[in-house]
Amino acid sequence: MRDEQTGTYWQQITGLAVAGPLAGHRLTLVAADELTFALWKSERPEGTVLNDVSRYVHDYAPEDWDVKMASTPTVISYAQAGLKPRDLMLGVRAFGASRAFPYAAVLKQKLIEDHVSGEPVLLVVGPDNLSVRVFRRRLPGSATPEFYRIPEAKEQSQSGVLLLDAQSGSRWNFHGCAIDGKFKGVCLEPLQVIKDYWFDWRNYNPQTTVYGIKQQIH
Amino acid sequence: MFRKSLLGLIGCLLLSFLLLAYPLYVLRPFRYQGPRELSAALAVMRLRPFLEVILVITALMFLIWVWRTTPRISRKIVALLCFLAVASCGVLSRVNVYELLFHPLDKPSFSPAPKTSLDGREQVIAINVNGAARAYPIRIISYHHLVNDVVGGVPIIATY
Repeated sequence: MRDEQTGTYWQQITGLAVAGPLAGHRLTLVAADELTFALWKSERPEGTVLNDVSRYVHDYAPEDWDVKMASTPTVISYAQAGLKPRDLMLGVRAFGASRAFPYAAVLKQKLIEDHVSGEPVLLVVGPDNLSVRVFRRRLPGSATPEFYRIPEAKEQSQSGVLLLDAQSGSRWNFHGCAIDGKFKGVCLEPLQVIKDYWFDWRNYNPQTTVYGIKQQIH
Repeated sequence: MFRKSLLGLIGCLLLSFLLLAYPLYVLRPFRYQGPRELSAALAVMRLRPFLEVILVITALMFLIWVWRTTPRISRKIVALLCFLAVASCGVLSRVNVYELLFHPLDKPSFSPAPKTSLDGREQVIAINVNGAARAYPIRIISYHHLVNDVVGGVPIIATY
């Protein structure tokens, strides 16, 4: 992308200016979630939503755009170890390392406890079974917590409770905040996660590891 | 003298065409761009409006010289066509045709969450800045690619 004021060119994926008067500068990333609209609306009913632009609305992607996109060829591949270029990954870049989690595996498991660069992390699938958030799996004072997904009961899904950590007995919601128990009011530190195609994530994270794949990725 | 002027005109035309074509070639979509050639192409794009003006003026001088010194109409026409080609390259080089393909939003409009008719399963990119919550439906932002916005008083660029 190019800014009108200086004509500098910026990479969208990194926010880094690559050519022009401001080359070398980096834009500050704003933390973002990728959620279903229904889930976001239930969390932030006072929020605002971008409108269609009527002039272009007929050119917007159809509802099944991701199906069609899955068969679009890519300029670069990095196909290896069973990974295909357009495999959807959840990419986490934190603590000096990059790690990719295959989206399908995350949705299936609903709760993943893992490490990025030795630091414990937690991936949680939301009550809509589509949205995912990632947190640093550390709590004040205690050993690394272990979480369990609470089976969905009507009462619990209404309060947004998803997780239990057995050591403290606190129950946690999709914001990563405890609603009762020892850690009531405490929130886990959120980590930025991006949903990306494997070829793109690998292109910008050459040292990335992949959850579920033991062999070294080149 | 005509030959020299014609060579001069052709030289201007070749240069102005190269200045136009090189970035078009390097920056075309679905092509992998190495960092050095990308820098080179972008540098050409920044310099070329200025260089093209010089080439157009030079070509114009050759044209005027030919027009004044040659009686033959055919030679005048050849010189004129060369000059027009240089001038066309000059005009086209002020535009990045690939940018014309895109429609970034600089004046986005928003609706309160309860008032939109968005399906609950539609995916959105959601941000919170200074307590203000904003959602960008992916099917909209994936078309425009860029939304220039101010959220919670902070200017941001939403990209997809």
